[in-house]
Amino acid sequence: MLKRKALAVGALALSAALLTTACTSRGNPNDTSADSDSGGSAGDQVAVAFVPKLQGIPYFEAMNAGGQSAAKELGIEWLYQGPTTADAAAQADIVRSFIQQKVDALIVAPNDPDSMAPLLQEAADAGIAVGTSDTDAPNSVREVFVNQASVEGIGQGLTDALLEAMGGSGKYAIVSCGETAANLNAWIDVQKAYTAEKYPDAEIVDIVYAGEDQAAATSMATDLMNAHPDLTGLVGECTSSAPGVAQAVSDAGKTGTVFTVGLGTPQSMKPYLEDGSSSASILWDVEALGYLTAWAGLQLVEGNEFQATNKVSDDLPEVEYDAENKVLLLGPPLRITTENVDDFDY
Amino acid sequence: MTVLDREPSEAVKPVARRVLPPPVTGQELVLVAVIAVLWVLLGIFTPSFLSPSSIQPLLVSVAPIALIGVGMTFIIITAGIDVSVGGAIALCAVVTAKLLVNYAVPLPVAVAASMALGLVLGLVNGTLIAYGRVHAIIITFGTANIFQFFALRVFGSSTVNNIPATLDVFGRGDVGRTFGVPHSFAITILVVLLAWWYLRHTAGGRHLFAIGGNANAARLAGVKVQPRVLLAYAITGTLVGLGACFLIAAGTSTLDQGVGIGRELAVIAAVVIGGTSILGGRGSVIGTLLGAILVQTVTSGVTQLGWPSQLANLFVGLFIIIAVGTDLLRERARRRKA
Repeated sequence: MLKRKALAVGALALSAALLTTACTSRGNPNDTSADSDSGGSAGDQVAVAFVPKLQGIPYFEAMNAGGQSAAKELGIEWLYQGPTTADAAAQADIVRSFIQQKVDALIVAPNDPDSMAPLLQEAADAGIAVGTSDTDAPNSVREVFVNQASVEGIGQGLTDALLEAMGGSGKYAIVSCGETAANLNAWIDVQKAYTAEKYPDAEIVDIVYAGEDQAAATSMATDLMNAHPDLTGLVGECTSSAPGVAQAVSDAGKTGTVFTVGLGTPQSMKPYLEDGSSSASILWDVEALGYLTAWAGLQLVEGNEFQATNKVSDDLPEVEYDAENKVLLLGPPLRITTENVDDFDY
Repeated sequence: MTVLDREPSEAVKPVARRVLPPPVTGQELVLVAVIAVLWVLLGIFTPSFLSPSSIQPLLVSVAPIALIGVGMTFIIITAGIDVSVGGAIALCAVVTAKLLVNYAVPLPVAVAASMALGLVLGLVNGTLIAYGRVHAIIITFGTANIFQFFALRVFGSSTVNNIPATLDVFGRGDVGRTFGVPHSFAITILVVLLAWWYLRHTAGGRHLFAIGGNANAARLAGVKVQPRVLLAYAITGTLVGLGACFLIAAGTSTLDQGVGIGRELAVIAAVVIGGTSILGGRGSVIGTLLGAILVQTVTSGVTQLGWPSQLANLFVGLFIIIAVGTDLLRERARRRKA
């Protein structure tokens, strides 16, 4: 009897432990076939490793594609591996393994900038050139941040695209994703300030957080339309909520009454751009961002100083560098509409 | 274990007819009251919570959680648990979405394929648990990762884009409703009623309770424990297959890798809030349906009131603690009486 009780207690404790660590362990890289097609040791090739927030989503896969084509053109080895969920601890494990492999450059899109900082220090101490891309870790020793678009560019691009559709005035709401996502929150701050300044007749009535869950984003967008019967605009702040808000508008039969914009990947937004439930998607050329990331890694390893404007490739003739903040800027954001959506295959 | 104390004391009484549990329990009535109060309050304090445009989408969101919750209730009644439903949802959903995109299969084929795949996944869980005699949480935690692995493989580092409108009959749009009732919710109600009848009125259903009360005693009393346990997981798997179709319909025309993440906890939350004892031996599918409605009411309510989104987590957490707490208190009271 005692033994069974002990077993039961043990099982309960174990199950509790499993449940609490569920995220972490599931985030372990189970897909080690990640794209290092040169395989094996790098020889005298410069090895640039990139750790995305999570792998397997079109956004970071497109970055990977860009990095790979840069690797081919520049003659470097491009290593790409990320966690399968956007989990800081799992990402840290991958960063550690790259430090142990003694790659030449390590570039991270951190899930949690603060907890990534000491790891980047560790990498720098090991003689690895460190940088961030897509998302910055400002309080770290990173030598460069490859910025996809300025915070102002994104925030103003979203606001302008939406207010153009709404006719310059009206009430709108934002469906964001993770509450702690630093880049999303920074864009939202710009949207608030820019809306107040440039569109005095427009008002942001609510900002909600759906996590990275499409169904939740759709359902919250529906709730927002019910809560504010005079709502005429919705913003989907990330790649899961951008199609979500458009779907909600289409389901409610409010296409043409409620307008939406978002940060969605082109192919996921295409049906909504075509049926009019989404007016535009604001994004940047993700493959070019991957290319620039690989290029920046190589410059760090070779010890080349960045210039105020850099010729990276034929497609990226003038990349600006902000020496004070050590930020490379990809360029102004793209507005994706029915006109150009087919130019992107991700 | 202790739940059994009740059974002999009832058995001593000379009864001529079968003893049936009450058709609804206290917990269910409490849930109905709580939901009713919340709906009235939300009706007063929001512009349109009680309008069809708000209640219909709410019921569409409830459907997959409550539907899979029916299976989860069966499992938890047998003192098991299934934490693999998130991974199973992801696998069923991505396979179904790919069938729709690449082969343009008609609705019945898509639904049947998804349910068949779900059944296979449920049989894998059930066989390992019933015949391998390893605790359910260990097995399903393992299969959760394996299902997720296969799902990610099928996704192949990309989302599934441009899913055709085939499954929209289960969605939030106009085609998803008949006489104002969302189809997915109507199907869920039907499944809940069937399950309620099965648990209450058939020997097989009562056996599930007996297994959860004390599996050894049930075995000695002649209950075929292993096939019954296997059945519970098989039913859950099949319902996961159907629920995955509901989730595709409730999402967008793009399916991403996040489709199953966290759903197992949402389903278990609905079951526990619905009054099913996590220790096994007691539970109700109607409670689970009400639990799912309560959770979605809180989530929608918080948004419609304009409150910060994270308050929904706080409320759901409190409901779980309160539900488990009252369950344990009742248990203690019952033991004292016996």
